[in-house]
Amino acid sequence: MTCEEAKSRMADYWGRSLAGEAEAAFSAHLASCESCRSEVSRVGALWQSLDLLPLEEPSGKVRDRFYEMLGAYRQGLASADAPVRRRWWTQPAWQRAAAAALLVAGLGLGYGLRGTSQPPAEVSQLREEVASMRQLVALSLLQQQSASERLKGVSWAYRAEPSDREVLEALVSAVNHDTNVNVRLAAVDALRRFASSPETRRAVVDALPGQTTPLVQVALIDLLVDFKERDAADVLRKLAADGQVNDGVRQQAQWALERLQ
Amino acid sequence: MRKFALWTFAVAWLAPAALPQDPQRVTVAFSDPARPKKLVVDMSFGSVSVHGYGGQEVIVETSNRAGIRAPGRREAEPPPGMHRIGPSTAPGLEITEENNTVRISSARSPFAQADVTIQVPVQTSVTVNAMRGNSISIDNINGEIEANNLNGQVTITNVSGSVVAHSMNGKILASLNSVTPEKPMSFSTMNGDIDVTLPASIKANVRLKTDRGDMFTDFDIKTDSAAQPPQVEDNRKKGGRYRARFDRTTIGTINGGGPEIQFTTFNGNILIRKK
Amino acid sequence: MAGNTGDNAVMAQVSAGQVAQLAVLFERHHRALFRYFVSMNRDREAAEDLVQDVFFRILRYRASYNPARSFTAWMYQIARNAGLDQARKRKAEVVDIDTFADRRAELVSAAPGPEENLSRGQDLVLLQRALERLPEDKREILVLSRFQGMKHEEIAEVLGCEVGTVKVRVYRAIRALEQIYFALEKEKAS
Repeated sequence: MTCEEAKSRMADYWGRSLAGEAEAAFSAHLASCESCRSEVSRVGALWQSLDLLPLEEPSGKVRDRFYEMLGAYRQGLASADAPVRRRWWTQPAWQRAAAAALLVAGLGLGYGLRGTSQPPAEVSQLREEVASMRQLVALSLLQQQSASERLKGVSWAYRAEPSDREVLEALVSAVNHDTNVNVRLAAVDALRRFASSPETRRAVVDALPGQTTPLVQVALIDLLVDFKERDAADVLRKLAADGQVNDGVRQQAQWALERLQ
Repeated sequence: MRKFALWTFAVAWLAPAALPQDPQRVTVAFSDPARPKKLVVDMSFGSVSVHGYGGQEVIVETSNRAGIRAPGRREAEPPPGMHRIGPSTAPGLEITEENNTVRISSARSPFAQADVTIQVPVQTSVTVNAMRGNSISIDNINGEIEANNLNGQVTITNVSGSVVAHSMNGKILASLNSVTPEKPMSFSTMNGDIDVTLPASIKANVRLKTDRGDMFTDFDIKTDSAAQPPQVEDNRKKGGRYRARFDRTTIGTINGGGPEIQFTTFNGNILIRKK
Repeated sequence: MAGNTGDNAVMAQVSAGQVAQLAVLFERHHRALFRYFVSMNRDREAAEDLVQDVFFRILRYRASYNPARSFTAWMYQIARNAGLDQARKRKAEVVDIDTFADRRAELVSAAPGPEENLSRGQDLVLLQRALERLPEDKREILVLSRFQGMKHEEIAEVLGCEVGTVKVRVYRAIRALEQIYFALEKEKAS
């Protein structure tokens, strides 16, 4: 290996992606070449220290704007397919979203408008777009690998429309299947938003027998009491009598039974 | 001869296989230290202690006498036609690295009962799950932290980023220097106190629930006026602290509000301290 | 998180019409994309606009994505074009002197200052400044390989050159950075 070749391999070496024959040849060259060796060490230190530079983070507006844009785009696609062509959009999708944002500034989406002024949107269509944006954010965050991101997904779900079935299903799924206790707890809490739907109440009652984490069991029991869900009586009675269940949970179930009479 | 202010790069790395490593201490490198790094620890038995340090690699030490199986070291294959007599010498710990995630897990046998100490680069996301072990302690980390303990305390100190922590039977003690903006956090325990110290300037929406304990804070938490107001103990003029005691479930805001922080315990107190 | 194949598969879904799946790619990549733009022009607001622009273009041109190609390489090609378009537009702007003063203030990084690390004998302020003074093409290739963690093959695709050229250019970029760093160090000492 020549010095020229070694130089072009240095970045790979520092990034630990040099392997096999290439690595052997590189090491061999270094062993015999003082100048390359010193360069690897000296410039390598600089390469490594680039790691220590602080990372820039975008503001929350980036996410808001993206989901606005995506939601508006989807709406645009949907209305383009609609049999009755109500196409009152002529501008590109993101400018439409910008118009929507101007009007929803009061909903706390805070968004800097770039460009010329746009005609105002119909309020109900607007509300749909915002709702579908929240749904999108919630659903995509709930699929993330980190518990912290999923917690965020739950808090977005809490801001969804009470009639949004997709979000409700995602929350119930989180209560039943999420691997992290804290996410399950947050999801139980978020179900309060959907209290008006009988499906929710059913889902909470059904979730109770399958749940083995005491804290989540207690949270579900408390929710049933807040819902004043008398249909839960059977499930609660079983729980209170089950010797395998945590004492605190059994006592809570007992208390709930009394409250629901 | 230029004196370079930044640290020097050890060329000794060239031949790692040649260096015999102490079976109770292993060093593992990330695929690409430039990209986000993650550590995941799953321990059936034994305490876990994770510390941030100035290097780029993961250094694992254990008191377990069965040692550690690190990536690249294999169990001896039986020669063709033969089979092993007796149980294989199972290692206490297994370590793998893939796609910038280092995973450390303990064998399920009770012989794996030992403590493990891990050093990682400060900027690493850390997830620790412990079962029948004792305590989890995480210190000097800047990243996303997740801790789950079945029986034992969770202690998280001198960290920045976000924390999601749970202990079934054990206290949660956490102290954050700074928080990642817009990241929610959650602390929960069935039997145990939750004692969290947060930066005084934090903006958050808090949700506090304890079924059988009390909640104390020296933050000024603005709650919904319709709910029961806290009982306030203001000893600041006497040189003491400001404390507010809340009712069972409380929702409020700190410094105007921000991402959600949940505090949930059944048998235990909640203490939220200002840094 | 998920490897490159994950990205390619998700983008293929978006191409096929499942537009909502773009959100998954957004969550995975928008921060890194933002950092790329900030490294190139240090204007945070412009960088945020560019991130938005890139995802909109991905939506618009989704049909032209070839699943056999690396999604990351395709995305950064779009990113470069978006950056160039914005730069071209800005050249035409005549900036009011007061706006200029305001904008300069924004150019300071919002991230916690590297000053905190001075005590460790590592002059990160100087390093940051040296990075900013690197000629654009060198800074870009360094950012793509060092910070975005892109493979040489992907960078070659993005920049439209040979893989071998990429390796040499990365080397030259870090050497240039070193020269600038030392020059700044000398300036500071004198």
